[in-house]
Amino acid sequence: MIRLMGLVSLICGLLIVGAHVGTLDAIRKNQEILTREAIGELLPGLQKQVIYGVLPSGELTQLRGLEDPGPRFFAGYDKAGVLLGVVIEASGRGYADVIRAMYAYSPQRESIIGLKVIELKETPGLGDKIATDKSFLANFLGLAARLNGDRSGLEHPIQAVKHGSKKNAWEVDAISGATISSRAVGRMLDKSARELLPLVVRHRQRIERGE
Amino acid sequence: MEAFAAGLWKQNPVFVQALGMCPTLAVTNSVRNAIAMGIATLFVLVCSNTLISLVRKLVPRQVRIATYILIIATFVTIVEYLIKAVSIPIYKALGPFIALIVVNCIILGRAEAFASKNTVGKSVLDGVGTGLGFCMALLCLGSVREILGAGSFLGIPLFGAGFQPWVLFLLPPGGFFTLAGWLLAFSALEQRRKGQRERNEIASASAAAEVRA
Repeated sequence: MIRLMGLVSLICGLLIVGAHVGTLDAIRKNQEILTREAIGELLPGLQKQVIYGVLPSGELTQLRGLEDPGPRFFAGYDKAGVLLGVVIEASGRGYADVIRAMYAYSPQRESIIGLKVIELKETPGLGDKIATDKSFLANFLGLAARLNGDRSGLEHPIQAVKHGSKKNAWEVDAISGATISSRAVGRMLDKSARELLPLVVRHRQRIERGE
Repeated sequence: MEAFAAGLWKQNPVFVQALGMCPTLAVTNSVRNAIAMGIATLFVLVCSNTLISLVRKLVPRQVRIATYILIIATFVTIVEYLIKAVSIPIYKALGPFIALIVVNCIILGRAEAFASKNTVGKSVLDGVGTGLGFCMALLCLGSVREILGAGSFLGIPLFGAGFQPWVLFLLPPGGFFTLAGWLLAFSALEQRRKGQRERNEIASASAAAEVRA
């Protein structure tokens, strides 16, 4: 009996390993295409991209693929090699489940210049508008994300405000009927920007050279 | 052939046996998801039926369920990799329900009730029949829900811009409503057929009585 179960397990194990090895390349390629498409959408005119990983010491290192774990961001350049902006991944709890998004930041303009929601399970018809609503996404075409005096964080926290009450350039005009999801987007941008933007600004020259 | 047809219609896993309700309700909010889930389940069902039928004489009774689950889980893992290789958005849309195919009672049910007692050929046919029956049921739910809830079919908009989508049908309650509607339609059809058969019998019986008289 034990020998038989061992044999069945062995066969099953081999099948799984076979499937894993067989699909590894295709899965990696799919992921790369998806990320590239998202970055291209956020930074129109994209020709070249460099992936930077953030070391625990706060230094940057160039990554070759998407597998390396840890915080990272993508720098995009146009045909002439001029930095278009950096694309950062952010995620946070939404109304239903974790929302994942990518946003583009321009060091020249000191603002966020685009947002694309990658993954969400928000309520259809209400919360899921954060991925499609044109006037909501227009918030992120020029959302101020200026650093504070000693460049350790943001001057003003990014946050979503009730629909129609946006007054300042760092506020996000929430979608009415999807306030919780809109707030979640504001919160996750704030958290991610606070952590990563000081690093991007500190290494701006290196990123601009694309090294 | 009988094994194949039974799963497809007379013993349809969803509409007749009312099995596998969890994926039936959860991932049928669009036609694309319904098809992906149906094909994934079909694949697991055919593969696990084949392998279980192959080892059916070797597996002792006491450990048969454990062995079946191991085999089913293997094919579910393989299908997970395959879906990821085909399309990551579909993989994300189906989410945890791919892994939950392991505990789908349709699959274990066919393993225990059919594949463990029949030859490989018959078990494959049974797997294909039941799997296609499941696909068909998911497609029935998925198309109604997507047409009413999003006004589209396979992502192609059907109505003009004036259409106000009936979002409820994309939400869990819509799944229950749609399932209830289809179950009602199926049992009404069945009842009518039964009534027809009874009437035919009465007619032929009275005809026979007339002939005798």
